[in-house]
Amino acid sequence: EARRRELVGPGSSPPTCRSRCGRCHPCRPVHVAIQPGVSFPLEYYPEAWRCKCGDRLFMP
Amino acid sequence: LLVAGAAADDGAALLEVKKSFRNVGNVLYDWSGDDHCSWRGVLCDNVTFAVAALNLSGLNLEGEISPAVGALKSLVSIDLKSNGLTGQIPDEIGDCSSIKTLDLSFNNLDGDIPFSVSKLKHLETLILKNNQLVGAIPSTLSQLPNLKILDLAQNKLSGEIPRLIYWNEVLQYLGLRGNQLEGTLSPDMCQLTGLWYFDVKNNSLTGEIPETIGNCTSFQVLDLSYNHLTGSIPFNIGFLQVATLSLQGNKFTGPIPSVIGLMQALAVLDLSYNQLSGPIPSILGNLSYTEKLYMQGNRLTGTIPPELGNMSTLHYLELNDNQLTGSIPSELGKLTGLYDLNLANNSLEGPIPNNISSCVNLNSFNAHGNKLNGTIPRSLCKLESMTSLNLSSNHLSGPIPIELSRINNLDILDLSCNMITGPIPSAIGSLEHLLKLNLSKNALVGFIPAEFGNLRSIGEIDLSNNHLGGLIPQELGMLQNLMLLKLENNNITGDVSSLMNCFSLNTLNISFNNLAGVVPTDNNFSRFSPDSFLGNPGLCGYWLASCRSSSHQD
Repeated sequence: EARRRELVGPGSSPPTCRSRCGRCHPCRPVHVAIQPGVSFPLEYYPEAWRCKCGDRLFMP
Repeated sequence: LLVAGAAADDGAALLEVKKSFRNVGNVLYDWSGDDHCSWRGVLCDNVTFAVAALNLSGLNLEGEISPAVGALKSLVSIDLKSNGLTGQIPDEIGDCSSIKTLDLSFNNLDGDIPFSVSKLKHLETLILKNNQLVGAIPSTLSQLPNLKILDLAQNKLSGEIPRLIYWNEVLQYLGLRGNQLEGTLSPDMCQLTGLWYFDVKNNSLTGEIPETIGNCTSFQVLDLSYNHLTGSIPFNIGFLQVATLSLQGNKFTGPIPSVIGLMQALAVLDLSYNQLSGPIPSILGNLSYTEKLYMQGNRLTGTIPPELGNMSTLHYLELNDNQLTGSIPSELGKLTGLYDLNLANNSLEGPIPNNISSCVNLNSFNAHGNKLNGTIPRSLCKLESMTSLNLSSNHLSGPIPIELSRINNLDILDLSCNMITGPIPSAIGSLEHLLKLNLSKNALVGFIPAEFGNLRSIGEIDLSNNHLGGLIPQELGMLQNLMLLKLENNNITGDVSSLMNCFSLNTLNISFNNLAGVVPTDNNFSRFSPDSFLGNPGLCGYWLASCRSSSHQD
């Protein structure tokens, strides 16, 4: 019962990126900034998780 | 023959398109002759020679988009971004029936988004951001079965977000920030099962976050900031898998739900500038992948949880402008990646913990407007990256530690409105990058160090309301960037001649000291009003009724 609640309950974790970079290894989760358009200098960009292998990024 | 005919028509259509552009002389000079497939920015199909792509981005094109574009039936991609195009998007764009990508962003297009866009059944990417488009978002956009990216940000679109849009199963990116959209967030918004980017920042949305928000599990970015949203942050927000949750600049009330502390995927959590109340949940310390935590500008009470020291990847921690009490937890010293710590305008008390000096990457530390007491820790000198230190308006006592002069990159040093005693260390003069120095409203004694003449970048010096004596050092005359000098309400003696060479100076207050002699009028020194010099009985000015007794002696 407790286990089930853990599975369906709230909360999140970074992507595991297991086999998300095709055949490329190692494949690790990273933050990337999404540039939404012209931003004001003091604003930060929203960030999202991507899976990274070498210089290549993949959707988690 | 039929194919060749169609291709020839494409060449004619391109010339029509060119005709309605302006400023084409330098960039489209090769658009002439028969072989339109070799023209700049034109890409043709290998077999049919029909125009497949038109890429004229960033060419400073002006003028309008011609209705003739609709004749290019084989176009798959149009990219006209980053030009100076004006006028409306022609209805005929709907005749480009093969189109997959339409990018007209960063122009000055106005008028409505034409309904005809909804005829483009192959359209996957529609980017119209940064124009002057008005009117409503056509609900018929929901009829585009392949639309993956819809970016209408930074226009003047109004009305409601059409609810039908949320029933698009392939949509991945919805960018609507910076418009004038109204209405509420629909409970249907989580029907977007493929969406990872939902951004409605800077609109005029009202109402509450729908309870169904917990179903938006594909979202990676949820940016609802700077709208007029109300109500409390629902518990169900804890079911999101987002990396960015931005709720700042709304009217959210109630507590910060503890469930947010379980959202380990958060990289950015921004709850700032709302009306949130109650304590900062200590469980937020579990957010070990969060780089930016903004909770400033609310009504948060209670203490700063020591658990925040566990947020090992934190770069920005802004808790200013709340009603936080208690002391600064020494555990914050564990945040070795911290770049910006803002605790200003709370009711924090007790000393500044020595451990803060372990935040070796700290660039800016602001504790202004609290009730901090004790002395300024000497160990702050370990913060070699710091450019801004603001400890003003507290109850700090003791001397200015000479060690502060080792924070070589300091731009701003503000220790004003405390109970700091002792002399100004002459070594402060070695802070050669200093732009702004404010030591006013303390109990400083001694004199102004001659070494201040080495502060070659300095623009503002405020030493007013202390017990400083001695002369205004001649060396201050070397400060060619100094715009503001406030020395009022001290016991400074001598004359003002050393300031005559401070040609940038436009705000001067040396009133209520013991200065003597004549205020010069050359070097445009008369730009300062008599108020700058009041309350110096021995000082004679160029204004009427000044220093009557001393002129009598002459």
